[in-house]
Amino acid sequence: MNESLKRGLRLGLIFGIVFIFFMLIGFTNVAATMIGDILGNVDQASVNPQLPVLNLITFTGLMGFFTGIAAYKKDANPSWVQVLIVGLIAGLAAALLVVGFILLIGSLNAQGVDFRTYLPNLGANEIQYLIFYTTPLAAAQRYILFIILFSIIGSLIVKLFSPGSPVNIALNSLKKNTINKLDVETLKSALKNRFVLIGLLVVVAVLMYFLPFVWGSYWNYIMGTVAIYILLGLGLNIIVGYSGQLVLGYVAFFAIGAYTFALLTAPQPHAIEMNLWLAMLIAVLVSTIAGLLIGLPILNLRGDYLAIVTLGFGEIVRILIRSDLLTALTNGPKGVTNVGQPFWRGQLFTDTNYMHLLMLLVLAGLFVAKRLKDSRTGRAWISIREDQTVAQATGVNTFRYKILALLLGAAFAGLAGALFASRNQFTGPEDFTLMVSVNVLCVVIVGGMGSLPGVVLGAFVLKGLPELLRELSDYRLFAFGALLVVMMIVRPNGLWPVSRPKFIKAPPEDCQDEPVEVKV
Amino acid sequence: MTRTAIHIQNVTKRFGGLTAVDEVNLDISEHSISSIIGPNGAGKTTLFNCVTGFYAPEEGEIQFFDKPVQGLPTHKICDMGIARTYQNIRLFKEMTAVENILVGQHTRMHSMWVESVLHNPRYLKEESTAIAKAFELLEFVGLLDLADTPAFNLPYGAQRRLELARALASDPLVLMLDEPTAGMNPQETAEMMAFIKELRDSKNITIILIEHDMRVVMGVSEKIAVLDYGRKIAEGDPTEIQSNQRVIEAYLGPSMDGIINRKKRKKPDYA
Repeated sequence: MNESLKRGLRLGLIFGIVFIFFMLIGFTNVAATMIGDILGNVDQASVNPQLPVLNLITFTGLMGFFTGIAAYKKDANPSWVQVLIVGLIAGLAAALLVVGFILLIGSLNAQGVDFRTYLPNLGANEIQYLIFYTTPLAAAQRYILFIILFSIIGSLIVKLFSPGSPVNIALNSLKKNTINKLDVETLKSALKNRFVLIGLLVVVAVLMYFLPFVWGSYWNYIMGTVAIYILLGLGLNIIVGYSGQLVLGYVAFFAIGAYTFALLTAPQPHAIEMNLWLAMLIAVLVSTIAGLLIGLPILNLRGDYLAIVTLGFGEIVRILIRSDLLTALTNGPKGVTNVGQPFWRGQLFTDTNYMHLLMLLVLAGLFVAKRLKDSRTGRAWISIREDQTVAQATGVNTFRYKILALLLGAAFAGLAGALFASRNQFTGPEDFTLMVSVNVLCVVIVGGMGSLPGVVLGAFVLKGLPELLRELSDYRLFAFGALLVVMMIVRPNGLWPVSRPKFIKAPPEDCQDEPVEVKV
Repeated sequence: MTRTAIHIQNVTKRFGGLTAVDEVNLDISEHSISSIIGPNGAGKTTLFNCVTGFYAPEEGEIQFFDKPVQGLPTHKICDMGIARTYQNIRLFKEMTAVENILVGQHTRMHSMWVESVLHNPRYLKEESTAIAKAFELLEFVGLLDLADTPAFNLPYGAQRRLELARALASDPLVLMLDEPTAGMNPQETAEMMAFIKELRDSKNITIILIEHDMRVVMGVSEKIAVLDYGRKIAEGDPTEIQSNQRVIEAYLGPSMDGIINRKKRKKPDYA
């Protein structure tokens, strides 16, 4: 009991500090506005102080709620009364801190102290909002009430769902029944059925065809970016995820692909204006050759050394592109404009067309990456990742396979680069900063090293989610960073870790019809 | 007439000032089981590493069925037909047992990456043959029920056997086992001994082992070479080695007579 109380107190204090921190950086106000957007109500108390400041109260309640949830000690299995007390203690601790802060800034504000010199997010208006447009004392009462109330509710709700409670038992029996009825095995065997599979594929295909029409050009742009990052991620996944070579200058191949395509198709500075598809092919080839040229001298390096050398390579390419030396060739810092766009039925590609093309290429990329992974080549790569020395002594020509991984990875990047340049109709050196390499590496790591669904998921989380978080404006990166940290703690192997393939022992020659399945 | 599988002539390997292997001569004949023994630090593993291409010896020559191998990269040597296991088990930990053996077969497979993307008939046939062979090997080493277990999850003994299976997967002519019974209990050791003998008879390959367990060494070897301070101090069949004065000295320290006779000899650090 003593332990749980201590825990409640500690977490209450932590949440109190976090809440104060949110107020200091102005996040509380932004979050309240967001809640308002979601719930569809606007805090109009500034117009009429009699109206409750609902959104802020909701946010306060949420904070209290989380305090209560966190304070509940799962393994202790406390009684209902104990839970009540712990929630109360945690809420009280958090509330006292917050109230102290509110009273302080409220009264100082009333005396006309301007915080904005040091805390730009804590102007008089914001403070008025934080004290619900009333007196600090009245606001303090509300904070105490809501934080403690919701903290207790939070604790009680965890208790409600914890093992042994009636709700939990009911849920479990429900789960058992439904899962038994669904029967995972039947589902799996149904998926193996050819007709079911084809039907499913048709549904997905139809969805993929119509979605770009439905969700509009803004989402086509965002999803296009996600698709380009999936392609990049697939390529880097071959290099880092499969063969285990930490290449940090991956953006170089992306840049080379984009610039090759742009220079071959734009009217300026070379006026080649080649056939688009041919240019795309050449862009892929040039990236691949760049991969070979880079790989040959450096792939004998291992681990950290390789990372540093490739890091340098990525920057060298960007700086060369924008240098005076190559201005005649690359147009320097101005970049290349009017990059060629493909035609479809005599008309310029629309955003929908691009989306379709990108989807197709992503599918093709996934197909290639998947088949490579489960082959002699893929196994050779993974063995290199696991233990390069032994892999070589087991007969794998490690150098050749590392080069191959780099070439294929570079080809993916080249393709992504060409599409990127074409879709944006522009390409400039600042599109290819180190951050691109880091982002792609994050896509691979967050998704799960070597995992293909992981790459897709990672690209959505890293490129799609920031767009969804656009509402948070200034706090977007903050929220995003926090999310990444939490995710890596909760799922250190990535969102969708790789699973090793299962092999089925081939039947003896005389009884072909009954394959023996080998179970673990 | 039996051919010489491995011919080691005047091989010397130095690490800075330390001469780990010092002018060793050794001939291993085909289809034999030979052991290399010696106190810790005698240069046994270094000699293994020279033969399998991990180290290039400074001097001397190593021939594998009359073809020189010194200086070749390890994957070429593996391709020629020398496979090995390691003193401290080195499996591909994240890969399953089957996959480890499939990697072992790498050098005997030929499909290119393009074929694996296209899934052409040759690739599919090779792949299914390889998987069938992998299961055969798993059965041979008794790991069939652990086929899909990642290597790091296997029990110790199973890891040793899987490493053996991986080495066998490349269809070697010579198999070099570095302390195959290290860390095993007497029962497992006996099984391993029987297994090594069966291996030689059924697969008809040449086996060289490094081993500290004298029951294993005396039980399975037809020929024993003893190294001490990088030098080969004795060679012969088990009975000869057991009665060899220099071998006894190397292991137990010199007798009083020996100390008087050979004062210059350094004091062995293992004593």
